Amino acid sequence: MSTVHAPRRRSFRRWFTALGWRHLVGIAVVVYATFPILYVLSASLDPAGTLSGSSRLFSTFDLTNYRALFDDPSRPYGRWFVNTLVVGTVTALGTVFLGALAAYAFSRMRFTGRRFGLLSLMLVQMFPQMLAVVAIFILMSNVGDVFPALGIGTHAGLILVYLGGALGVNTYLMYGFFNTVPVSIDEAARLDGASHAQIFFGIVLRLVTPILAVVGLLAFITATSEFMIASVFLTDPDNQTLAVGLFGFVSEQTSSNWTIFAAGAVLAALPVTILFLALQRYIVSGLVSGSVK
Amino acid sequence: MLVNRRGVLAAGALAVASSLLLGACGGSSDDDAADDSSKSSESTLTMWVDAERAPALKDAVASFKKDKDVEVKLVIKDFQSARDDFITQVPTGKGPDMIVGPHDWLGKFVQNGVVAPLELGDKAGEFEDAAIQAMTYEGKTYGLPYAIENVALVRNTALLPEPTSTMDEVVAAGTKVVDAGKAKYPFLVGLDPKQGDPYHLYGIQTSYGVPVFERNADGDYDPSKLGLGNPGGIEFAKDLAAWAKAGALNPSITADIAKETFNKGQSPYFLTGPWNVPDMQKAGLEIAIDPIPTGGSEPATPFIGVNGFFISAKATNALAASEFVLNYLSSEDAQDALFAQGGRPPALKASFEKAASDPIVAAFGAIGKSGSPMPAIPQMDAVWADWGATELDIIKGKAQPAQAWPKMVASVQTKVAG
Amino acid sequence: MTLTDEHRSEDSGSPDQRPGRRGPWARLRRPGETDGLIGILVKIALLALVDALAVYAVFMLAAQEKWLVLAVTVVVTVAVNVVYLRRDGLPAKYLAPGITLLLIFQVFVMVYTGYIAFTNAGDGHNSTKEDAVTAIATKGQERVPDSPQYQLAVLEKGDDLWFLVTAPDGTVSLGSADEPLSEVEDAEASGGGKATQVDGYAPLAFEDLLQRQDEILDISVPVSDNPSDGTLRTADGSSAYEYRSNLRYDEDADSFTDVATGTVYTDGGEGAYVSAEGEELVPGWKINVGLENFRRAVETPQLRDSLVSVIVWTFAFATLSVVLCFGLGLFLAMVFNVPSMRGKKVYRVLLILPYAFPAFLSGLVWSGMLNTEFGFVNQVLLGGAEIEWLTDPWLARFSVLFVNLWLGFPYMFLVCTGALQSIPDEMTEAARMDGAGPWRAFRSVKLPLLLVSVAPLLITTFAFNFNNFNVIYMLTRGGPRFEDTSNDIGATDLLITMVYKVAFGTGTGRDYGLASALAIIIFVVIGVIAAIMFRRTKALEDIH
Repeated sequence: MSTVHAPRRRSFRRWFTALGWRHLVGIAVVVYATFPILYVLSASLDPAGTLSGSSRLFSTFDLTNYRALFDDPSRPYGRWFVNTLVVGTVTALGTVFLGALAAYAFSRMRFTGRRFGLLSLMLVQMFPQMLAVVAIFILMSNVGDVFPALGIGTHAGLILVYLGGALGVNTYLMYGFFNTVPVSIDEAARLDGASHAQIFFGIVLRLVTPILAVVGLLAFITATSEFMIASVFLTDPDNQTLAVGLFGFVSEQTSSNWTIFAAGAVLAALPVTILFLALQRYIVSGLVSGSVK
Repeated sequence: MLVNRRGVLAAGALAVASSLLLGACGGSSDDDAADDSSKSSESTLTMWVDAERAPALKDAVASFKKDKDVEVKLVIKDFQSARDDFITQVPTGKGPDMIVGPHDWLGKFVQNGVVAPLELGDKAGEFEDAAIQAMTYEGKTYGLPYAIENVALVRNTALLPEPTSTMDEVVAAGTKVVDAGKAKYPFLVGLDPKQGDPYHLYGIQTSYGVPVFERNADGDYDPSKLGLGNPGGIEFAKDLAAWAKAGALNPSITADIAKETFNKGQSPYFLTGPWNVPDMQKAGLEIAIDPIPTGGSEPATPFIGVNGFFISAKATNALAASEFVLNYLSSEDAQDALFAQGGRPPALKASFEKAASDPIVAAFGAIGKSGSPMPAIPQMDAVWADWGATELDIIKGKAQPAQAWPKMVASVQTKVAG
Repeated sequence: MTLTDEHRSEDSGSPDQRPGRRGPWARLRRPGETDGLIGILVKIALLALVDALAVYAVFMLAAQEKWLVLAVTVVVTVAVNVVYLRRDGLPAKYLAPGITLLLIFQVFVMVYTGYIAFTNAGDGHNSTKEDAVTAIATKGQERVPDSPQYQLAVLEKGDDLWFLVTAPDGTVSLGSADEPLSEVEDAEASGGGKATQVDGYAPLAFEDLLQRQDEILDISVPVSDNPSDGTLRTADGSSAYEYRSNLRYDEDADSFTDVATGTVYTDGGEGAYVSAEGEELVPGWKINVGLENFRRAVETPQLRDSLVSVIVWTFAFATLSVVLCFGLGLFLAMVFNVPSMRGKKVYRVLLILPYAFPAFLSGLVWSGMLNTEFGFVNQVLLGGAEIEWLTDPWLARFSVLFVNLWLGFPYMFLVCTGALQSIPDEMTEAARMDGAGPWRAFRSVKLPLLLVSVAPLLITTFAFNFNNFNVIYMLTRGGPRFEDTSNDIGATDLLITMVYKVAFGTGTGRDYGLASALAIIIFVVIGVIAAIMFRRTKALEDIH
């Protein structure tokens, strides 16, 4: 795809001013972004290491920690992994759907209370969450009395709680993005007799695919790394998520399994990475480039 | 065709929505199942345990299930949030029936009325006195102890074959080893660079006659008598500064770094608890356990931490919980299993004697006899932050001992008073 | 994702042949057509499902007598039905699902915090008065000194429960709640000498004990005709002890009386039983205290000491975090937003990694790497320097920002990368042709367009960092402390960490009431600021 504009190497100087410096920036910032992670990776390969001190990076290469992750029936890492994927995926899908609906309404329709609604959405996000966990526990344990399938200890309940945040930052993100899609497009469609649903699902959503992918990815990351609520919600080792389960390795009173924890965290970063790779073409393929005036 | 395609689109969108509702749907159709589970919940118990305790309890759980047909669900809770979650969840009636934890949680539990008294009866005599004393709060016993822990001075015998008794001697001996080029640090203790570590240094502090709170005649800590302000406090603070200058106390050395460094044989001394011993042995160190070195003229009395099982004040299944704790977890087998798993010296005398065939366990136990239980009174929460930060500043040389210590005492005094 | 995939498959022709926006549009054009039949059916089905669930919930709630929740459920359900059955009110149809969940979860948290702010909730005032009375009464039960431990069998006669107890000396006695203990001769004993059965009474098996445990745990069997001799109680159904009550509860007077000293404890109106001398019984219970917490919040001396510097730092931290993260994120997004650049996919993935890692792990790793003597940064990168990254006030502030940038820039990078896609290059090119330099072209064309989509996000990011408890607690716990205050407040404390320390770290422990009041005050402050900033975005919004 990128062949069309590929520059001929007329001179290094030209190449450098066009692209080369970008690689320099890229390398510099990749070092900044990854070196703490290399540190974790290195610790995860050394069964005797710790996460502190400055032992040489990658002085040993030993997969004991990774094997240990899957060896302990009281800490079912494999199950945690699956649980995390389930919770993350459903939350991400739900967030994209709910957020897009709301963003569409805010961006395209004019109704009383619209500005107020936007402002309120934002204000809700700013509330200090000091008592959130206690409140959510009380709420969901009562919900569980009525709908046991949504009570404390269930994934469905946890997902629902996460979806309670679907209209937050994500809606804002999509709302801003929807605003950049010219209204003239939907107006033309409306004149042609399309219904609002057709415009929404058929036109607007596809024009904003990049942001849907971004929001999906962000929601996935948020849901999979969320710890506070999940730790109160999921108490049975078999239905915990990675964030909760892994934390157990290092939250002991006197003994911490830092290196096993590091190994678990390295593997836990894989789904996000893979998801990003899969979504990248939607995020940056320029589906809409050229289609917006 | 077109309609279909749009139908697919719409259906795709709604599928998301309906999948959300499906969970709820399952809830309503599971009606009967839910009733069943609430019935059977009368014969299940829930216990919050830390991840390390869980495997050790498996046998006790299995035999309880076999004898009494009551299942005990072990819920792994992370240590740091267990106490506060227990306090918030018990009053809602949704909390667990039992919890495993250290005795110093007890004050908060009693203050909030979330723990039920537990009458040990004649069994109390089978446990170490210190353990029972720690499980007793305001004259009532609340928990069944299973382990007693305290810190001691671990010595690398390859570097220093002979024990020493005062802190000054320890620092001198350690410095000599360092000067001889055999080690890098004269003395190690894990300090948190953010908040110090008054817990580990407490034994030394008490040798100056400076307990955190004074104890009344019954042995209970009296929150109105802050011992930190005793005359020896400044003396202790000055010596902290001196030891820090000598390189014995290093604020950059965290617990993890201290452990790693000691295990590499880079220091003759490590002030720590039995929990780090297994890794030392794995690292191939020859070690001996010495009493806490003294700085002042009084004996050093380290904190003792006693771990035990507590029953919720609102346990839905209190009778079964009592039966399980009193008659199953108190058994020699159960206490042996807990020791085998965590290496914490058992609280049951019979189990301890077995464990004490290991001289290291015996030595820690002997030193623990001179210790005093960590105060369980809720006021302790108001002490740690100032106490630790001030010790840290003194160690760093950022604060003058003579001014910083009394200032800290005054500040703690105000906070304790509320 | 499902949606995007649908689009892709429908659009599966090669991107180069895409006829632009006319394509999807032309295909969908069906004049006069409204929502399809399927759509209507699905709508009805979903509504029916919601209603069915609601009806079920109403029955359950009625059975549990939770009238308030029931009322809320009914109102919400009716509202949802109205929204979707009405012809008008289109925006509501789009907003309802998200808003409903938002109201249930987020707004509930706010309401709950608001409610707690008017109570004395916290350690020592944790539950209802009823619970407190039970807890005090239980604590008041003291085992009679030197009394023996009895082996116990619980028997049943008719509906009444009886205690058959074996004393250590072998005497066997029988009694019930109404009948003091009396010796029995003809009991059958088990191997261990424990009496298990008496004629005319049926022994209860362990399952039966469990079934009736509430009754059994409640029974106190008088030891003799004299009630002050004590009563027998059991906790496990297999052993019993003699207890005497130290504190007697008088229901009518709503007071506890200390049996030994005669001290009377009455409800002092502050959520605890208090004696005339002011001595309190523990635990107390939760009561409404009106504006008390707000008064304390304003008057707390610990808060006032360093308030100004904490506020300044909180604003600086939040503002700089947004500016730095957005700046770096946008810069990087633009750097890699060149179609011809090779390897940009790899760069992008690697840049996302900090965000993909569990944040608390990153915090711990950074705090280890910034250790003065042993940290990777000082030891390896700076060749053994001893820079006090986390313990010098200014360096600590710098480090906190630096780590927060590390944690936050991938997010902005991702968002900007997505947002840049909507801004066609032709626009910048046009500006370039008009003679504008690259920077000007960017500033006057791309940036304004970009801000349209991300400005609201920047405000929420500001708010998030304003309350960014975690990063501060993981790295510095707010330290290093200010030297001129005796309080536990330091150079990197944000308002939220200060609130945490004040409300949870003093005197009697966690004070949820005070914490909530302070949280609300902070919320009002930051809410006003945000609302003002928000008004400014209006100009940006209507750019098209």
